[in-house]
Amino acid sequence: MDNAMMIGLTRQMTLRRAMDVVANNIANANTAGFKAESLLHESHIHHGAETRENSDDIHYVNVRGLGRDFGQGELQLTRRPLDMAIEGDGLFAAEMDDGQWQYMRDGRFHLDTQGTLVTFDGRPVMDGDTGASIVLDPGISDIQIVDGGIVMQDGVQMGRIGVFDVNNLGGLSKAGSGRYILEETDGGDRPENMINPAVRQGFVEASNVQPVLELTRMMTVSRTYQSVTKFLNDANELSRSAIERLAKV
Amino acid sequence: MRSLTTAATGMQAQQLNVEVISNNLANMNTTGFKRQRAEFQDLLYQNIQQMGVDSSDAGTIVPTGVQVGLGVETSSIYRITDQGALENTGNRLDMAISGAGYFRIQMPDGSDAYTRAGNFAVSPDGQIVTMDGYTVAPGIAVPQGARDIAINQQGQVQVLVDGATAPQTIGQMEVVTFFNQAGLDAMGDNLYRESAASGTATAGTPGSPGYGVIRQGFLESSNVNSVSEITALISAQRAYEMNARVISAADEMMQASANLR
Repeated sequence: MDNAMMIGLTRQMTLRRAMDVVANNIANANTAGFKAESLLHESHIHHGAETRENSDDIHYVNVRGLGRDFGQGELQLTRRPLDMAIEGDGLFAAEMDDGQWQYMRDGRFHLDTQGTLVTFDGRPVMDGDTGASIVLDPGISDIQIVDGGIVMQDGVQMGRIGVFDVNNLGGLSKAGSGRYILEETDGGDRPENMINPAVRQGFVEASNVQPVLELTRMMTVSRTYQSVTKFLNDANELSRSAIERLAKV
Repeated sequence: MRSLTTAATGMQAQQLNVEVISNNLANMNTTGFKRQRAEFQDLLYQNIQQMGVDSSDAGTIVPTGVQVGLGVETSSIYRITDQGALENTGNRLDMAISGAGYFRIQMPDGSDAYTRAGNFAVSPDGQIVTMDGYTVAPGIAVPQGARDIAINQQGQVQVLVDGATAPQTIGQMEVVTFFNQAGLDAMGDNLYRESAASGTATAGTPGSPGYGVIRQGFLESSNVNSVSEITALISAQRAYEMNARVISAADEMMQASANLR
């Protein structure tokens, strides 16, 4: 196959992947704490077969990485006392079964039968000061989150919701279930607890997917794919007619 | 193409969302009903290019990597148990709990059920029962010839019997609370059952710390807010349409490839 076909195919492959990413964004348009993603492309320069001196390089299309938009999602009022949203930077942390921490923006918490503050699947939410779980008194229905994420019950401080400052947001990989794993690249230190995070009680941070943007992106991807297909058809047509004409001689 | 299945998970999730919203709206006028909310989480991620791997012999690493998500899933549908508005009915046996707690109901099979709906009545043998005839714990019997029933905020039930001058105390209502009331198992008919997630019921006197007070002559209406439900319905419907658009766009792409000549 000639270069035109190969270049067209690399473009189609990246477009398919871009479509997968758009589809995931749209599927999660109503997922609390979800952060939109987009694919980053690069041209992959390849030196073609040297048929003559100074022949041009071939630029293939390649997927370079994934950009994640960590911009603030809209805060939606729910009035549920255990719904929390972070305004600004920082992530909540939850402890997994193996002791590893995972980070999330989704602050829809629950209480388990012992009164521990947990995520929807029962993972304890981490306290910023102690690095342990937060246990509330279930007998007191009044739960208040005041400045800096401090949890108060009947005027008594029960803990402080940890909001951790991850410097290298690019080092987070998604674990599903709205959580991120921090790839330990620098000695495995846990990120620092923020001193005065803006934790808003009774709010949920909505997904920051912008549906109009995603739909436009989807149309662009779809139309580009079709035009690349047309280009591939043309390239095919060209070589076919070349063969037919040459055969007449 | 993953897009097809990804968008399909999105459509399923929104469909479920609409089902939950429609149940909320259907129960807008149900006494003691607590609205529910469907909660979504992003599904698995597939690592196309692992972040943090070496990109050269010099030790440079891939900073972001490529992870493609596979859609959305429902993580839970939970009940939002905030207080519903109290509505004055004037009926002497209507009770509403203002604050935390549930009434305990003795089911015919001997088990316990819990409810926030306090529209009670008196059975032929004088017991205070629910609209289905189940006894309200701890089982208070109204004596023959009782003229007026008064229930105070602490749940003390007093009656004035014909011929007597002083009111007579016939019982004490109790309310129960749970560690995690969102974990209660809904049985229908406004009743909930204890579950492993809710924790065990702790009974107490109304008005004591941690327990709500009883308001006689009031009923707790549902805590469904029609405006927010309709808004949620609109956004669910639009999200459903968008996912459908993704499916047709992905389909067009595949068609374009299939028509390559």
